[in-house]
Amino acid sequence: MQKDTETTRQVVPATDILEMDDGFHILMDLPGVGAEGLAIDLEENELTIRGTSTYAPVDKGNAMHVEFDAVSYARTFTLSDIVDRERIKATLRDGQLDLFLPKAEAAKPRRIEIRTA
Amino acid sequence: MVIDFNSLYDVPKNFERLFDEFARMQAGGARRTQYPLVNVYESDNGYVVDVIVPGVTPEDIELTLTESNLIIKGERKASSGRMFRQERSSGSFQRIINMNVPVDRDNVEARSVNGILRVSIPKAEAVKPRRIAIQS
Repeated sequence: MQKDTETTRQVVPATDILEMDDGFHILMDLPGVGAEGLAIDLEENELTIRGTSTYAPVDKGNAMHVEFDAVSYARTFTLSDIVDRERIKATLRDGQLDLFLPKAEAAKPRRIEIRTA
Repeated sequence: MVIDFNSLYDVPKNFERLFDEFARMQAGGARRTQYPLVNVYESDNGYVVDVIVPGVTPEDIELTLTESNLIIKGERKASSGRMFRQERSSGSFQRIINMNVPVDRDNVEARSVNGILRVSIPKAEAVKPRRIAIQS
């Protein structure tokens, strides 16, 4: 069985999407991915997250039991107009990416003042 | 004194068999609890156990080494808020790795890098394969 050393297997990372009062949070599991291996691109409405894992299996000795391998992750999301593009924040910690997508000011529920004319 | 090598040869077989049983047992409950994936490598010097635990800080992981078992226990807290999509598992998890060979408990190292925890467990000196000099 030949192993292709150039490209690693691509996997869709497990993601939670939640909405809180200040905006949306996208939490992705990217084990083995550090800041250098992560790329987040926003093009028009599409947000693409790409990450490569730096996990290197131990090559000395034998693999007794292997359940995972070094993979690369890729996933694309389509953003709605509510999201304030300028203030998107990404935090990567312990292999978990927290993408904060704030809602634009105009979209937050607002009480409209009534003027008595 | 005679050194019995039989136990050393059997280790991979027993180890693998234990793992297969364990994996089969876990398969049914995998949906309910978090199932951190684990890789185990063996060399002459010791074992290396890699565990995938993204989003869990090292403080939340409990690593216990008994005489023959490595127990990895922890909990991943579920996120709060209005969930639109939930694909990641949360909750408490536990994996037990059985080692048939005595290990050197004082020299175990564990490092967590980017959500992958690597535990290096050296084998006890007495068990390491040793070169025997032939006298002529």
